[in-house]
Amino acid sequence: MGAYVLRRLGWGALVLLGVLFLLFVLFFAVTDPDDIARKALGEKVPPAVIEQWKANHGYDRPLWPWQDFENNLLFDHYRRMLTFDFGLSDADDSPITERIRDGMGPSLALTVPLLVLGLGVSIPLSLLVAFFRETYIDRMGVFLCVLAMSVSTLLYIIGAQFLIGKVLRWFPISGFDPDPLLLPRFLALPLLVGVLSGIGADVRFYRTAFIEESTRDFVRTARAKGASEARIMTRHVLRNALIPILTQVVLAIPFLFSGSLLLESFFGIPGLGGVTVDAIQANDFSTLRTMVFIYSLLFVFGQIATDLSYGLVDPRVRFE
Amino acid sequence: MRSASFARLVLGGLAGLAALVMGCGNDPYPPSDATARVLYGSFVDAPKSLDPAVAYSQREHAITGAVYDTLLEYHFLKRPLELIPGLAAALPEVTDLGGGRSRWRFELRPDLLFHDDPCFTLSAPEARTRRITSADFAFSLARIADPKVGSPVIEPFSNIEDFQAFGERLAARRASDPEFAALPVHAQYRLVGPIAGVATPADSILEITLARPYPQIKYWFAMEFSAPVPWEAIAYYDGEQGRPRFDDHPVGSGPFQLTRYDKRAIFVLEKSANWYGVRHPEWRAPGAVYPSEGEERDRAAGRLESAGRPLPMIERIEMRREKEDIPRFNKFMQGYYDNSGIAAENFDTVIREGALSPEMEALGIALDKEVSPTIFFLGFNMDDPVVGRGRDAAARKRNRLLRQAMSLAIDGEEFLRIFLNGRGVPAQSPIPPNIYGYDPDYRNPFRTPDLERARVLRAAAGYRGGVDPATGEALRLTFDSYNTTTAGLIQHQYYTNAWKKLGLDVRIEAVTYNQFQDKLRNGAHQVFEFGWGADYPDPENFLFLFWSAMRNSASGGPNYANFADDRFDALFLEMKVMENGPARMAKIREMIAILEDERPWIELMVREDYLLRHGWLANVKPSGLSIPTYQYLDIDVERRAELRVAWNEPIVWPLYVLSAGAVLVVIPGVLTYLKERQ
Repeated sequence: MGAYVLRRLGWGALVLLGVLFLLFVLFFAVTDPDDIARKALGEKVPPAVIEQWKANHGYDRPLWPWQDFENNLLFDHYRRMLTFDFGLSDADDSPITERIRDGMGPSLALTVPLLVLGLGVSIPLSLLVAFFRETYIDRMGVFLCVLAMSVSTLLYIIGAQFLIGKVLRWFPISGFDPDPLLLPRFLALPLLVGVLSGIGADVRFYRTAFIEESTRDFVRTARAKGASEARIMTRHVLRNALIPILTQVVLAIPFLFSGSLLLESFFGIPGLGGVTVDAIQANDFSTLRTMVFIYSLLFVFGQIATDLSYGLVDPRVRFE
Repeated sequence: MRSASFARLVLGGLAGLAALVMGCGNDPYPPSDATARVLYGSFVDAPKSLDPAVAYSQREHAITGAVYDTLLEYHFLKRPLELIPGLAAALPEVTDLGGGRSRWRFELRPDLLFHDDPCFTLSAPEARTRRITSADFAFSLARIADPKVGSPVIEPFSNIEDFQAFGERLAARRASDPEFAALPVHAQYRLVGPIAGVATPADSILEITLARPYPQIKYWFAMEFSAPVPWEAIAYYDGEQGRPRFDDHPVGSGPFQLTRYDKRAIFVLEKSANWYGVRHPEWRAPGAVYPSEGEERDRAAGRLESAGRPLPMIERIEMRREKEDIPRFNKFMQGYYDNSGIAAENFDTVIREGALSPEMEALGIALDKEVSPTIFFLGFNMDDPVVGRGRDAAARKRNRLLRQAMSLAIDGEEFLRIFLNGRGVPAQSPIPPNIYGYDPDYRNPFRTPDLERARVLRAAAGYRGGVDPATGEALRLTFDSYNTTTAGLIQHQYYTNAWKKLGLDVRIEAVTYNQFQDKLRNGAHQVFEFGWGADYPDPENFLFLFWSAMRNSASGGPNYANFADDRFDALFLEMKVMENGPARMAKIREMIAILEDERPWIELMVREDYLLRHGWLANVKPSGLSIPTYQYLDIDVERRAELRVAWNEPIVWPLYVLSAGAVLVVIPGVLTYLKERQ
């Protein structure tokens, strides 16, 4: 297993180095540092200020090692990313690491409960529809799931803000307050929307996994032994369907840190999703580079963690 | 037994959840603030920098304008805008030194303090604040000159004697002497300075010497760039050891102090106990007392009812970030924001025939309209051989006629109606309303659409039917823009379709902003669109866009049309140094007449800002410049609390309908379950 893990980590590192090179080409070779400076400073600044800005941000150096081996942007880009020294934002000169740290809390406050609640709702529901397969409950369940999947997240957001925030007036329409006593009031609505918008796809996916498992021989054996249907579903089917569930969950965990673009934007949550959107809107290339790198990092390690977790839930899986 | 306790648990949980939900309500603020004198608002884009030497946009000035007080400020109600003393005891005394040089002498009010801040421990261990002296203004000006700060306003301040040379000395010394470069900036300025044109003969006297005529300098002393900054704040807020950076932690002397700043979520400004208006109400300083003079419309709108009251009238300002229009507008309609802009999707609900809809009026909502001194125009590159000034008299005449014809084809009023819901004023000249020199009765003969006349002019230019005699095909021109959005493309097509009616083939080239800037700099543009917003309320700030010394192709200046006319230049230089009055107005009219005939621009429109506010918010009057006027605002907090409760009574019938629907879906499921159980 050790060799397998090392091999996967090695491949992951190579992928990350490749991603970093692509990022460099996209952000430096395709976009001129002059463009970045002008975007940051606006239309009325004289050229001397642009030159000073480039010097302040280190963009006045040559791009490639063959232009200046000691002092070039490519090596600096790799050094910064690999040591997590992300530098300053191109848009407002604030430290990017600080921005990520500040955004992570609000993002996790939303995404962790969202994942737990989503699983807590969709797994029992999928067990229910799988248990009553080919009945009204299953057909109506699948119909509602397809309906839920067909509706845009934006519509859920606007609909929930209208119905719950504006008509029923249960929760604030938007906002965020890190005070633990006030936080639940602001998170209730985005959590509800997040769970509702994801429930259709999740229930359909888990239902398929459960139905597939429930046709296996061991289920028939358990039933022949006289085990109750509830026990068969929870003890045998659920346990054996854990691999696809785990794949979904472990893959989702790294992205808990990246936040949710739409939910954060519409509910005024200052999380990491918003950092990326802000960076795109403000042509903040240094923040954008960092966020893309972090997403890649999370994705690569998410994949490795998923593979390793198979062995934990299924002893038949061997790492070779 | 187990199932019974489980059922009890579920029911208990549901009851608890219901109690939580019912007890919650949609009020996003703590109950203790229900009757507090707090202004609640929102912002969309996060501010970039709160360093007053750098901040140059409305979103930043919304904070810096309240935190940093200035030597001069604008009268809240008078229009055109008029300067009044702020931190200065009076307007500056100006002495002519001959040869175009002049000295501007400011006397500071006594006993001015900075806001309380830990940074002042650098000057005295127990200090929480300190007195403001003229040296603090000199320090601020040195920061603008410092190339490392990257201030965008070096150019206007370079009219001060030795200003630019100081920056050059500083940069050279830093490059040659690493030990010097490692010193704190105030020590560096002391060693390299002072700026010869900035003198501080006494703690309360600041003397500015201008090397050349530039009367507009006074406006820059009404902007935060020149506000006093304590050297301690620059030295202390360096971003090290958990301290924020200075551009995220302003230390000023204005009526409000920034007490909470999460640029991506919220900022809170609280009334400063150190502001001179709060500490010395007996001075009745013009900038610290609500004005008793204004326009007739101010009296009609009740804006003179607060006359004589000490400022500020509110205790706190809370601005929350709302990136999306829909939640922002909904919260305004619930009474949780005191004011709001109007989103395009709500425009028809809110505005009927240019006024507030009856439904909105019934809620006591008011609409404030203000023409912003920002002009949008279509320009011609006067260096271009086809649409520019031309090499000889014949070409000059031909090209001018073509520009006049193209100007007549564009309907500014229709453009406003189609693209901006009519929010704006069709522009007739480069000077927008509320700027001296604007004449509301002036009608530019080339800005009233007239296709017939345009066709005659086009034919006189030698393009009969729009055909270029050199090619035998429709005259092909290029329209350059930096707006690459779909909405932008539709607007561009509006222009090109208008010119198509003259038989001209105008191709759109929409590029990124930077590519567009490159095109302008390289003179690779032909017809283009652009806008210009006022830095200060003086016609010089608009007419210098046609001054030949500012030609973009020659000097990199903002004369993007590369217009050059000797007579215009002479008039401009005379007008620039004149005081407002009939003689100045005559010069301005003559300059506008030159532009009217030469047509380097097709003046398109001046934007009009619409701002909604609740009836409980009083004394709102936008200035058109990015200057916040929070200290003049007043709030009827009892009325606000009352209406918030009334407007936010839950409407529960949709819940019953939804529940009934859910029951209808669930019942067959329950029946199925029971059947399966059997």
